[in-house]
Amino acid sequence: MKTFSRIVLCLAATLAGVSAAPVVSADAFVQGGPIGSQTSDGYNALGPVVTQPIEFPHNRHAGTRANGGMEIDCLYCHTYARRSAVSGIPRLSKCIGCHNMIESVKEKPRIKTLLAYWDRREAIPWKKVHDLPDFVRFNHERHIQRFIFDQGRPSREACGYCHGDVASMTTARRVKAISMGWCVSCHEKEHRIDAVSFKTGHGPNDCWQCHH
Amino acid sequence: MIRFGMTANSVASGVNRRDFLNLVGLGGTASVLAGCGNTSIESGVELVQSYVQPETFVVPGVGVYYASTCTQCGSACGIMGKVREGRILKLEGNPQSAISGGKICGLGQAGIQGHYSPDRLKTPMLKENGVLKATTWEKAMSLLSGTVSFTAQGPRRVVLTGPTSGHLQILLKAMPQSGAATDHVVYDSLSTAVAASVNLKMFGVEQTVGLIDKAGLVLSFGNDFLGAGDSPVAAARQYARFRKAERRGILIQIEPKMTLTGANADRWVVIAPGTEGVLALGLVRELLQRKEFANNLSPNLIAAVEPYNQTEVSHITGVRGDLIPRIAATLWEHSPSLVLAGRYPQGHAHGSHNMAAIALLNVVLQNQGKTLWREAELPFPQMAPALGNFKSLRQLNTQMAAGDVGSMLIYGTNPVYSTPDFMRFADNLQKVPFKAAWVTELDETAMHCDLVLPLMSPLEDFGTHVAAAQSDGMEISIQQPLMEKLHPEARSFGDSLLELLKQAKPESYKSFPDYYAYLKSAVVNAKPAFDPKVEDEEFWENTLSAGVLRRPAALLPLPAIEFSADLVRQPLRESRDAAYPFVLIPAVRPSMRDGKAANLSWLQESPDPLTTVVWDSWAEIHPSTAKQLQVNEGDVLVIKSAQGSIRAKAYLIPGIHPGSVAVPIGQGHESYGRYATNVGVNPFKILDPIFDEETGELALYATRVAIMKTDQNERFTKDEGATNLQQGRKLVATLAADQVDLAKETPFVIR
Repeated sequence: MKTFSRIVLCLAATLAGVSAAPVVSADAFVQGGPIGSQTSDGYNALGPVVTQPIEFPHNRHAGTRANGGMEIDCLYCHTYARRSAVSGIPRLSKCIGCHNMIESVKEKPRIKTLLAYWDRREAIPWKKVHDLPDFVRFNHERHIQRFIFDQGRPSREACGYCHGDVASMTTARRVKAISMGWCVSCHEKEHRIDAVSFKTGHGPNDCWQCHH
Repeated sequence: MIRFGMTANSVASGVNRRDFLNLVGLGGTASVLAGCGNTSIESGVELVQSYVQPETFVVPGVGVYYASTCTQCGSACGIMGKVREGRILKLEGNPQSAISGGKICGLGQAGIQGHYSPDRLKTPMLKENGVLKATTWEKAMSLLSGTVSFTAQGPRRVVLTGPTSGHLQILLKAMPQSGAATDHVVYDSLSTAVAASVNLKMFGVEQTVGLIDKAGLVLSFGNDFLGAGDSPVAAARQYARFRKAERRGILIQIEPKMTLTGANADRWVVIAPGTEGVLALGLVRELLQRKEFANNLSPNLIAAVEPYNQTEVSHITGVRGDLIPRIAATLWEHSPSLVLAGRYPQGHAHGSHNMAAIALLNVVLQNQGKTLWREAELPFPQMAPALGNFKSLRQLNTQMAAGDVGSMLIYGTNPVYSTPDFMRFADNLQKVPFKAAWVTELDETAMHCDLVLPLMSPLEDFGTHVAAAQSDGMEISIQQPLMEKLHPEARSFGDSLLELLKQAKPESYKSFPDYYAYLKSAVVNAKPAFDPKVEDEEFWENTLSAGVLRRPAALLPLPAIEFSADLVRQPLRESRDAAYPFVLIPAVRPSMRDGKAANLSWLQESPDPLTTVVWDSWAEIHPSTAKQLQVNEGDVLVIKSAQGSIRAKAYLIPGIHPGSVAVPIGQGHESYGRYATNVGVNPFKILDPIFDEETGELALYATRVAIMKTDQNERFTKDEGATNLQQGRKLVATLAADQVDLAKETPFVIR
């Protein structure tokens, strides 16, 4: 059963349009600084620990096989990220789609909690870990298009530019500053424009790109 | 347009639209409440929008559009609401609605603000020792149940509402029929009852349909159809076609104070207030001199218009004498024409006669069957709108004063604000032992009630609406929730009515658990008239998806009616009262209407189209009058009638009759949320007790006032810059109107 569910999940990950054989650059996972440190524009790099209604193990789902994970692609669950400005949270029925078939873990406390939410048809009140002020418009879709679909970077790395190595965490925690200076520092860098060209370009630096 | 429909997934799990909104509710509502005004980066504070099993087309961050109906005025424009993460973000027009045609006006756009208003009433309130205190719905319903009596004895039990239509109107009609109340009174402070009465006498129907786009020339007597008219969005669309026609349509506007429509006219003619009928008869007399029109009236009517020669008409109306035959000639040259009458001519003691004289122009010009029609039959006449009037409120007021009214349930109207002081409505309301009001925000009337109930916003409620003015087929507009309700204790007025009706007549209403069930059943029962082939559930879903139920256009000709020459009789010229030399014009603003929209800060912030003033009241006077009174812009004036006085800053504008002063309606609330309270003044309060002789309607534009200058001067908050034309520089070349040869300037000629 366990093998079967792995096959299902891997197949699903492939269908999600993600290429195999990722070579993940470790640069993406460098934390913004030690706990308590601040970036030059005064923001803490490391966010607080956020207690979620279910202690979701990202490492079990997206972590490497060597560390006991299933290497499910980020975009398989966070499917809205490539279609919308916001990544959203996976719908509850998506969790249930797999977990209804995985008998071996159904009695585990976290899965029992999950199934109880489903039985009540109640949305799980997940808390925001990465937040932005209302006057900032970050667009997930644009970044995913650039780094995953154009440059062919693995999603674990591309998502990691902002979110860190979530695949090694249980519940997510902010590890980058997500401040304006920090955003601009990346927009100023030269990035290859696609997977095959050596041409480079940097991100836009107009105010209205984010403040509109 | 994205259609709403049940997906295979949601059907399989029994999730329908209502449940979907509920399922979204937990995360959705929480994020709504937490998500406003956040400007800091905080981890673990807000909730992420979380779905259980959304429709397949729902993507967080991407809007989904649902159809509904705008309730900001009585036009019943079909709208589309952009919904994202369970929140309604923006309203636009519904292209499937023939009324809105995919557009809405500024008043409609601002409807969303009433929904999110920080001053929404959140719980039922009961007055104890003169103070409103929170109570429960159980307690409220037990008190309301006490008003339902099964005996015909005892004092009156009145339901007082603003204009309503659709299925809510059917339930309201059922209140007196079932014994749950004794009377249903419909009140509208800006009613068009005078026009309806005249139409009935002259054309056989209360509501005529004027097709602007079929006319070559529109002669409008104070009809602000582009601004604060009956259906400004539909009229603006017709107007665009009228202007873009191969032979460009001509608009002549005659009124004592310029409206938005007047500002758009080719020729704006100022007229002494209340003399519109005289000018109309003068024009009729001119037209009768042409052989094409000579035989269009009965001898009695021809005799009736005979005294209105050019000199006499010019003397009474103040309109330049030579303009009268020129306008008459233009009417003939640009036929077919359409003559419209608006609020200004109605609002006088001889309002009916004014309106009849203007309507006589349409008869002489034989516009019936060309530009003037009547509406197609509504398949369900019981849903037709109940347009309010003033006369019935006056009768109710007399009954209240005599202590004949035992209870009053009030919905959709604010008479304590909009009735003149001479009626003493607020005092008389205190004589009613039990009065309850359903409101979204505590307005003046609610503050005088014993029980105040939190009403769902129009964006949270179901409903059906039928507009009074429809020119392109008959349409039933469907209102559906665009969002889970913000405040859990808010309820639909329909639900409360249904509860009372169940108590009075259980056998008729017990099968409906709530107003939604009643409405759905009633709409599905109408299926044979619209789409008999589909299943009930599909018909309901299609109806919600489209937002309208439409019957194709089928305008009917107006019947020929014989009417008496007495109808068009004009009064003798009034002598001016030296104590009150000016006429007060309580101007209706497109954004504020009767003051219902004053709680919306977007509309307070929107500049008035003619003066650009924001967040204020003002007194418009003619520069020549200002010179005579030695008044400058910003001078605080006291405008005093025999009933009382108001203070407002002077605004000098050439678009007003020199014998008038105009103060806009809508401001001067004592209670109606933070944005309306204590902003400006309320001209309703100082109106004189003058009524239309035929219908008994309040004469809105007949009050005489004196203007007194104070030694105060305050700056206006307004968008426009200096009003001294061109700031002393010749920025734009100008020419006096008399020196212009229009034949050379435009294809339009007034000979």
